[in-house]
Amino acid sequence: MCNANGDKPVRLKRRPIAQSIENLDQLLSLEQGRMSRDVFWDKDIYEQEMERIFARCWLFVAHESQIPKAGDYVSTYMGEDNVLIVRQKDGSIKGFLNTCPHRGNKVCFADLGNARQFVCNYHGWAFGIDGGLKGMHASETYEAAGMDKSEHGLHPVAHVDSYRGLVFATLDPEAPSLAEYLGDMRYYLDAIFDMDEGGTEFVGGCVKSVIQCNWKYASENFVGDILHAGWTHDSGAKAMVGGPVAEVHKTPEQSYHVNFNGHGWEFNQDIVGNCATLGEKDLLKYLYVLQPKVAERLGELRSKMIGAISSCTLFPNTSFLPGQNTFRTWHPRGPGQIELHTWTFVNKKAPQEIKDMWRKGTMMTFSPSGVFEMDDGENWEYSTRSNAGFVTRQQDLYLGLGHDTRVENTDLPGNVFQGQINEANQRAFYQRWLDLMKADSWKTVPQRDVPKMKEGV
Amino acid sequence: MNAKTTLPEIPVDAETQRRVEQFLFREARLLDNERWDDWLALMAEDIHYWMPTMENRRRADKNGTYAIDRGALYNDNLRDLTRRVTRFKQPTAWAEDPATRHAHVVSGIEVYQGGQPGEFVVHSTFVNYRSRVEKDNDLLVGRREDVLRAEGDSFKLARRKIIITQSVLMAKNLNTFL
Repeated sequence: MCNANGDKPVRLKRRPIAQSIENLDQLLSLEQGRMSRDVFWDKDIYEQEMERIFARCWLFVAHESQIPKAGDYVSTYMGEDNVLIVRQKDGSIKGFLNTCPHRGNKVCFADLGNARQFVCNYHGWAFGIDGGLKGMHASETYEAAGMDKSEHGLHPVAHVDSYRGLVFATLDPEAPSLAEYLGDMRYYLDAIFDMDEGGTEFVGGCVKSVIQCNWKYASENFVGDILHAGWTHDSGAKAMVGGPVAEVHKTPEQSYHVNFNGHGWEFNQDIVGNCATLGEKDLLKYLYVLQPKVAERLGELRSKMIGAISSCTLFPNTSFLPGQNTFRTWHPRGPGQIELHTWTFVNKKAPQEIKDMWRKGTMMTFSPSGVFEMDDGENWEYSTRSNAGFVTRQQDLYLGLGHDTRVENTDLPGNVFQGQINEANQRAFYQRWLDLMKADSWKTVPQRDVPKMKEGV
Repeated sequence: MNAKTTLPEIPVDAETQRRVEQFLFREARLLDNERWDDWLALMAEDIHYWMPTMENRRRADKNGTYAIDRGALYNDNLRDLTRRVTRFKQPTAWAEDPATRHAHVVSGIEVYQGGQPGEFVVHSTFVNYRSRVEKDNDLLVGRREDVLRAEGDSFKLARRKIIITQSVLMAKNLNTFL
């Protein structure tokens, strides 16, 4: 049954890739700012996404701070695959499919904790935190059958790596390095996850909810859609700060869309615009005091991003908001549903009362009860559900904003576009999606974006 | 768990029990009818309105299912609750228009003497059903532990802890109070 690999069986089998759906190119006419609704509805497209995007890309699985000690673990998802992310005795991090190789049951039903071993409830197979099968109930019966325990450990993910405290994993042994995958987006990630010496940590646990929408509606919203905020979130802004959302469309010269490998970030340089929506003056003060120090570490531009009006998606399904400090993964659950997992990130060295304010601030704004997120879900649900209409879903959608806004002569890494009211990042997100959906392996994924950063930086 | 649960459970007289029940039933009606300001007026100045999220942890894990410094859907003081009400009242609160239909069902009300004179520890169970537009229906079931404080001929809500059964909230939002 197992793939041959010298004398040891491969513990993460992958079938040869299935044949692609034909004519995927016809779904997108990005130059014309047009796309098909089928990408949000079609079940075959969803199944192909599971194989060619979620079982292939580097996916966010944990923050280092969630699992500081040996045996600490979190249970999370890579697409619909449940995985355990476990800190090892040597400080490294491993990931395993949360399934017993014997009869398939989950070996861990907790969301998080500390374990010396994971024991399956069904027949008592017990696995060390390194995934190795250590023993089982009535072990002599297996010995009598000649079973070799060393061949039946938990199935490991293909690779685990981290960047600035963010832990990613991939289920594809052929995947490029994480540094190559993130590429120039690392330059911007540093503005948030390396703004302060000591980096960031997650605080306050995870808040989970279900939205009946396609996962891409959420990802594309955070990859570049500040436009919706001025309209969708008017009520939230009035609740938190007593006035409307800032009119960012009036100052495009101070803001950008940047993208790389389908990751995207829209931002202006107002330092605290996102943070201001939490309605806590002490947080603004904290950022203003920090900003000159960030300028010394990372330069002027990035120091102005630390809490600015902005949003980011790391392809395919992880997003965050600087300043509001919500970090989130949109786990796909079929073409019409996501499970949303959200955390709060803070600078590790920030005072406790500042951390507490951010933890509460994310709850008040970007959680299921938050006054901003409150209005997002319904938009995405009905953007998805309207496509149940047989004729409705034959009508194209528009994403043509900012067509001639590319900034050519710039030192800034990535593909840079002038003005954060733009759909350049959304187009780049879907271009990457199409490239991955069409490619039979990582080797044939076109490298459209030329990195300015060195890989090892 | 909450330290208040360790108070001896000293029952109150039937009239006090009746008045507390009326207070909670009226509160539920105010929420059903979106009378947000009238509902806010039931809160004490020092209200702590808390609804933690539920984590699945092993029984042996001393961290427990929830804690004050972990995830929450509400962890509010009066300013926070007022901000939420401000959003509900905006004409641009798109996810409230057309209106959501609410049913707040309260039952199992137990009233005990509180830790301070004039305070009462009140346990109750609730069923909350929300319906929106054609057929968006969301159900939450749980238990509450309140501290009510006698004020004039009625009460103010000084503490509320809301424990729901769901770990993953099976809804796109939580556009109500519980």
